[in-house]
Amino acid sequence: MSQVLSQAGKRSLRLRHPVAGTLAVAGYVVMIVPILFVVATSFTAGSTLRFPPDGFSLRWFAEAAAYTPFVEALVSSLQLAVLATGLALLLGVPVTLAIHRGRIPGKELLEGLFLSPLVVPELVVGLALYQQLMIGLGLNNFSTLLLGHTALLLPYAVRVTGASLALADPALEEAARGLGASPLRAFVTVTLPMLRPGLISAGLLGFVTSFNNVPLSLLLQTRDFRTLPVTMLDYVQQSYDPMVAAASTIVLAATVVVAVVAERTVGFAKIFGGINR
Amino acid sequence: MTTPAAELIGVSQRFGSFTAVDAIDLQIPRGRLTTLLGPSGCGKTTTLRMLAGYSAPTSGRILIEGDDATRTPPEKRNLGMVFQSYALFPHLTVADNVAYGPKMRRVPAPERRLRANEALELVGLAHLADRKPKQLSGGQQQRVALARAIAIRPRLLLLDEPLSNLDARLRVQMRAEIRRIQSETGLTIVLVTHDQDEALEMSDEMVLMRSGKIVQSGAPRDVFPAPADRFVAEFLGYENFLALGDGRQAAVRPEHLRVVPLDTPADGAVALDAVVRDVAYRGVDLLVTLDATDATGAAVRLLADHRADTATGPTPSAGDRVRILAPEARLALLDPTPIPATPTEGIS
Ligand SMILES: Nc1ncnc2c1ncn2[C@@H]1O[C@H](COP(=O)(O)OP(=O)(O)OP(=O)(O)O)[C@@H](O)[C@H]1O
Ligand SMILES: [Mg+2]
Repeated sequence: MSQVLSQAGKRSLRLRHPVAGTLAVAGYVVMIVPILFVVATSFTAGSTLRFPPDGFSLRWFAEAAAYTPFVEALVSSLQLAVLATGLALLLGVPVTLAIHRGRIPGKELLEGLFLSPLVVPELVVGLALYQQLMIGLGLNNFSTLLLGHTALLLPYAVRVTGASLALADPALEEAARGLGASPLRAFVTVTLPMLRPGLISAGLLGFVTSFNNVPLSLLLQTRDFRTLPVTMLDYVQQSYDPMVAAASTIVLAATVVVAVVAERTVGFAKIFGGINR
Repeated sequence: MTTPAAELIGVSQRFGSFTAVDAIDLQIPRGRLTTLLGPSGCGKTTTLRMLAGYSAPTSGRILIEGDDATRTPPEKRNLGMVFQSYALFPHLTVADNVAYGPKMRRVPAPERRLRANEALELVGLAHLADRKPKQLSGGQQQRVALARAIAIRPRLLLLDEPLSNLDARLRVQMRAEIRRIQSETGLTIVLVTHDQDEALEMSDEMVLMRSGKIVQSGAPRDVFPAPADRFVAEFLGYENFLALGDGRQAAVRPEHLRVVPLDTPADGAVALDAVVRDVAYRGVDLLVTLDATDATGAAVRLLADHRADTATGPTPSAGDRVRILAPEARLALLDPTPIPATPTEGIS
C-alpha cells in the first residue's frame, strides 16, 4: 500500500520538479543503455565486440549454445537456483507462519534474524561459509554453495510469503477447523491457497536472484562447479568475442520473461511491497 | 428433563492477570435460540470461542449434549460457527464453501452437492452457487456463512454478532430470517449481540453479561419488565431511576412517564413535580428532559416520551413547571446493591 503511494509520489515529483525528473531519466539511461549495447553487439556478424555491430547474424548465439563450459555452467546454475529456491521456500514458509500466526516470544528477533542476509554483504557471508563449512566441516563445494544461496534467498521467501499471509483473515483457518478440518487439512486447503501468489512470486524472485548471483558463487567456486555468471566472467577475462554478449542476451531475455510472468501472476507492487514492508 | 445442548460449568478464561470470563455457569437449552447480550468487552466472544473449541478455558468444564468436551478440538465438536467477518474462503465458489464441511467429513461428492444446495435453498441463495464470495453483497455473504455452518448439520449453531455488519433495514430482516431458519430446522442457536432490541426480538432465552459474569438470564418477557439491577435496566433502555423513599429503587422507561399539568391527581401513580429543561422533536414523539426531586429529596434528571396524539394536556415547553406520573405497574424494582460507577472489568 505505502509502496503504491510512494510510487505515485515519485511520479508527481517527476512531473513537478524538472531537475528530479531529468535525474531519474538519466538514471534509467545509465542503467539501460549499456544493456542495449550488449544486446546489439550480440547480433553482430563480425568477430569482435564492437559498436555499431558489423551486419546481422545469429552465429554467436549458436556458438554460445554449443560452447560446452557455458552449457555445463548453465545446467549447474539452474540446478543450484531451483534447489536453493525450493529449500528457501521450504524453510521460509514455516518461519513466516511462526512469525505471523505463532504464539512465540521474541517474534521480532526471529524476523530480524531471517532478514539479516538482506543486510549483511554477501561477500562476508560467502567468506564465513567458505571458512566454516568448506574448510572447517569439509562439506563439498556444491553443498556449501547451496547453503549460501539458500541463506541469500531466505529473506525474500519470508518477506514475500509473509506479505500474502498478512492479507489473509486468521478466522479462515478457524472456520475450516470448525467445519471439520484437522489443523493440517485446514492449512493445505485454506492457508496454502491464500499463500499461493506469495509462493509464486517468492519462487520467481528467488530463482532470478540465485541465478544471477555473482559474489557468493565467485567466492565459493571450484574447478568442477561453476555457475553461469562466474563462467562468463572468467571468459571475458580471457577473450573478448561477441559470444559472451550472446550468452548475456539469452540470460537477459529469460529474466525478462520471468519478470513478466511474475508481474502477470501477482504484480510488482505486491512483490516489492512484500520486501519493503 | 432432557440434557441441555451445551452446558458451561464454572468456566473462566484468564488472559494474564485479566479475567475475561469469570466462573460462569450456563445451560443452552435444545432447539431454542439463546442470546449472549452485553456491552463491548464483557466476554461474549470469549465465551462463544470456548464453546466452539477455539480456546480452552483456564478453568471449568464444557459439556456438549452431556459429554465432556472441554479439551475437544473444534473439528471434533460438530458445531457450526458463523464469524463476525463471515470468514468465507475467497478461493472457493459459494457452493464449494458450503460443501467444505461435508467434504471434510468425507461425504461422497453427489451427496455433498445435494446438501450444499439444500442449505443454500434454506437461505435463498441457490441461484448464486457458482459465484465467488467477493462477488456477493454483505448480506449475501452473511447468508452463505450461515448456509455453510448449517450444511454440517451441527449440534449447535454459534453466531458471533452475525448482523452487525449489515445496514439497519437488512439487520431487521435478517432477525426474522434467522428465526425462520431456526424454526424450520429445529437447530439450537447461540447468538452473541450487544443490541438489546435484537436480543429481545430473537431470543427464547437471553443471557446478560457484564465484566465476564452473567448478571441475569431468562425469557425476554420475564427479563424485560423486571431487570435485576441498575446495570441491566440501563442496558435494556430504562432511562429513569427513582428512589421511592422506603429504601426501594425503581427504574422506569421514558415511554411510561406521563407529563401532565401540576394539578393533575396522582391516582395511585408515583407523582413528582418537575421543571422542563428541554424538549426535542423526534417525529412520532417529543423527548422531554426534566429536573425533578425524588422522595428522598435528591435531584434527578428524567427523560419522558411525550406523544402528542395520546397524551392529555398541553404540549410541554422548556421552563414549564409540570407534574410527572409513573404508574406503579410500570415501575421495575431494582436490587439495591450498588453498581460501581466505573466498571472495573473484572481485574483480579
Ligand atoms: N487473546 C486475548 N488476549 C488478551 N485479552 C483478550 C483476548 N481476547 C479477549 N481479551 C479481552 O477480554 C475481554 C472480553 O473480550 P471479548 O472479545 O470476549 O468481548 P466481547 O464481549 O465479545 O466484546 P465485543 O462486543 O466488543 O465483541 C476484553 O476486554 C478483551 O480485551
Ligand atoms: Mg465480540
